[in-house]
Amino acid sequence: MGLLAAIGYRNLRYYAGGMADWLEHDGAVAPLPPAAAAAQAASSPGLLWLEVVANFSLATLVGVWLGMIAVFGLLYWLAGIAMGWGLQAGNAAVNPDLPGLGTAIYFSFVTALSIGYGDVVPTGALRFIAVVEGAAGLLIFGCVISKLVSRRQEELTEQIHRTTFEERLNRVRTNLHLVFSDLGLVQQLQAEQGGLPDLVLRRLESTARVLRGELQAVHDLLYRCREMPNEETMESLLSNVIICLEALAEVTGALPGARSATLERMLHSIGQLANEICGECVPRQYAPELKESMDRIQELARRIG
Amino acid sequence: MAKPQTASASTDYRAIERQEILARLQDRALALVNVMPPDSFTAGHIPGSVNLSIAEIQTKARLLLSNLSQEIAIYCAGPS
Repeated sequence: MGLLAAIGYRNLRYYAGGMADWLEHDGAVAPLPPAAAAAQAASSPGLLWLEVVANFSLATLVGVWLGMIAVFGLLYWLAGIAMGWGLQAGNAAVNPDLPGLGTAIYFSFVTALSIGYGDVVPTGALRFIAVVEGAAGLLIFGCVISKLVSRRQEELTEQIHRTTFEERLNRVRTNLHLVFSDLGLVQQLQAEQGGLPDLVLRRLESTARVLRGELQAVHDLLYRCREMPNEETMESLLSNVIICLEALAEVTGALPGARSATLERMLHSIGQLANEICGECVPRQYAPELKESMDRIQELARRIG
Repeated sequence: MAKPQTASASTDYRAIERQEILARLQDRALALVNVMPPDSFTAGHIPGSVNLSIAEIQTKARLLLSNLSQEIAIYCAGPS
């Protein structure tokens, strides 16, 4: 931990539980030794079964549910043939023929849905099998319902994500544009007056602060984001960043030695962030033009930071 | 998405929980680093981890993890 921090890694996180905690909660392990896999499966069979079922797709779940009903129906029917104690409809035993199979499957449905009309009743040990079917049917059916609900929810979340994402992109672009025009103004004043009065200096500080924030946003976009803007948007963002950094480099380059501590800190931070936007270090593949833009940003970062 | 987190955060590391690792097993932005000795690593590790035993950190870290601001989750055998 400390060793990695000493090398310079800045985004370290520590999973204190380690392998012990991971295994205790049935985390997947690679490579999976067969013995360990068996032991894992045996350690919590009930929960594991439910988790496996809950991960099925909707179609599979419905299939499993229907299959279970069919199998149990067949079981009731076969029990009637083989052992003589089967289902009873009214006061008569259900016959081991084709209509009897229909009745058994009907009973299976009624049980799995926990309706329990009571027109067909199990006898003997079949009662316990029916209870098991009822419980399993409820659980699987619950999974089906939750799948349906969560699917809709996922769609909504996705939509919200996309909207906020696009809004954010627009804001970054607008802000960068504002930063650029502000820097232009400062530059003009600088040329006219051969230095910067306090008020303008403070304006420069606040502009630098906005630029820093937006640079962080672009940086995050490149490093850790779920969705990517298309390359065109990215290119326009990067070129906006470039013109802003160029203007900033010019303004600060001509600034007389005494800069305020705030400005110094901002510039340092901007330099650091921009330095990490380079074609080599960004962990994603982009078109070559974008790499060039990123390298240009890094070059400017060296001038500023 | 834009968590306020400066690049020059202190060397204090943040904790990461099992749930987050589980949820981000496919996320390439999170590197999983197993700092156990190689033979323990081969015996079993979280899928997608790289092995970087304590002894190898000085020599191999920059090769395996070229990006210093990469988000890295470190773990070993267990709570120590």
